Amino acid sequence: MASPALAETPTAAPGPRRRPRRPDARRRDHLIGWLLVAPAVAYFLVFLLHPALSALYYSFTDWDLRTPARWVGLANYTDLLFDDVKYPHFWTSVRVTLQYTLIAVPLTLVAALVQALLVNAVRRGSNVFRLLLFLPVVTAEAAVGAIWRWLYDPRYGLINSVLELFGVPGQNWLNTPELVVPALAFVSAWQCGISMIIYLAGLKGIPTAIIEAATIDGAGPVQRLRRVVMPMLRPTTFYLVVTGVIAALQVFGLVYVIFSGAGRSVTGGPEQSGLTYVLHLYLFAFRYDAMGAACAMSFVLLVLIVIVTALQFRFVRREAA
Amino acid sequence: MRKASVYLALVLLVAVSVVPFLWMLATSFKHGQDIYTKVPSLLPLDRRTGEWAATLENYAYVLQVGGLGRAFLNSVWVCLVLVPAKLLIDALAAYAFARIRFPGRDTLFVVLLGGMMVPTITLLIPRLHVTQALGMFDSGWGLILPNVASVLDIFLLRQFFLSIPVELEEAALIDGAGRMQIFWRVVLPLSTPVLSVVTITSFLFHWNDLVWPLVVLNDPDLYTLPLALQQLVASPDGGRAYYVMAGATLAVLPVIGVLLVFQRRILQGIAFTGLKS
Repeated sequence: MASPALAETPTAAPGPRRRPRRPDARRRDHLIGWLLVAPAVAYFLVFLLHPALSALYYSFTDWDLRTPARWVGLANYTDLLFDDVKYPHFWTSVRVTLQYTLIAVPLTLVAALVQALLVNAVRRGSNVFRLLLFLPVVTAEAAVGAIWRWLYDPRYGLINSVLELFGVPGQNWLNTPELVVPALAFVSAWQCGISMIIYLAGLKGIPTAIIEAATIDGAGPVQRLRRVVMPMLRPTTFYLVVTGVIAALQVFGLVYVIFSGAGRSVTGGPEQSGLTYVLHLYLFAFRYDAMGAACAMSFVLLVLIVIVTALQFRFVRREAA
Repeated sequence: MRKASVYLALVLLVAVSVVPFLWMLATSFKHGQDIYTKVPSLLPLDRRTGEWAATLENYAYVLQVGGLGRAFLNSVWVCLVLVPAKLLIDALAAYAFARIRFPGRDTLFVVLLGGMMVPTITLLIPRLHVTQALGMFDSGWGLILPNVASVLDIFLLRQFFLSIPVELEEAALIDGAGRMQIFWRVVLPLSTPVLSVVTITSFLFHWNDLVWPLVVLNDPDLYTLPLALQQLVASPDGGRAYYVMAGATLAVLPVIGVLLVFQRRILQGIAFTGLKS
């Protein structure tokens, strides 16, 4: 086509095939460009930017979504943090969410890493294993919640039956306050498929020469894992920790479905033991019509997420130095 | 010997992943009384005689009485409208951001990316308010329009479009093709890998989404499948696991089908996108 050599030669007359872009053509490009992005920009303004800014505004108001909002300054924030008559379970929900995050994220990562190492170690059938391990990820939250309610059923559930096979007494998982968070975290580890796939990609990126060199130097499988593989997977692990924590702090759908019905969703499980932060937020917004307070809660969460992420980055940078 | 233990461990882990689904399936085909057994069975067997005793009654019940039949159709309909519309809007914008020079382009792109940082839960309530103000509360449009574009997808599509050799498009330009012709005839056909990843992840996300239908819908006739399933769990029938598992199976099977058909694309794509939308 238009060879660069031809274009650079000053003597070559501008051929009829190479049209210089004239100003009106450029102006037409501007117009086309704006037209093409217009629907996306309109969406962005109406359903992203405007809601984000008004969420901030409403967090300073008393508002029920129907009548006009009334400005109350910082009252929502101070009430949430300090008024335990108005918001008796705010700190409970913070505690539940942090507990859940501290159990679910490590459990998910360990499960994902083990799965990835095993899938990576076999040649025959690795695609089938990968696919089956991925199945729980594509399942709707509503279905996951429904399935696990039945699995955790104290009398006829599969989990207790299996435990009793091994002589472990069955538990009333979703009705014992101390067991609720671990039971929820286990479901999240069951859905570790995405992390597994990402770990697999990380494992594929480790040059085989390095592993072979370590083997020749006499490192056993455990040593290779600890001294070679894990350090090389560090960036992957870091990415998964950050995204995992952000997701865990916002856990909602699973808990909402698991504690649906029998009046349990109002309290978030026995003694609020499954009242996660976003479930608490949802209940205040849609059960008690406290939209302003709910917006304030969502900004507290936003700040919390920013702080946690910044801390993690800082931690990693200090380790690297 | 070592190899055998690796396979054994893998089979155990796969069992943990898959057995819940098998149990869901078995329960959904059991007669009511047959699920209450001391030793659970992964097959629909009669509680007393141990003979094969599968039934479709649970499906008939949830499809009609439970409203899951209508909800299934609603979900299909929403995905059929939403996923292509979203893909078109995102791809057009991504192409402009990748290839067309217009004033303010790069600033605009950075501002859009900034929008990705805000958690969805922060946007939920004001987005609902906007949807109400536009008169779309409790309607099909209210399910579709507030989800009809995705900054993440625009970003992914743009990155792919940038990787297409620009010479191909210049050649078409010289041959007298207009911008839109180039987009349809040159860029899109070369982009099937990224288009399919974005389509599939977007389908999975909206097929499974519970939160937005939960807040924007009141009318049970409009419920999508996940919402109808949640309502079934919350209803007095929620204690009847054979009904609930039939409902869960209806929600899960189409997705498993998509996963089996498009497994390569999904597993490749997921490493970059996650399952967000």
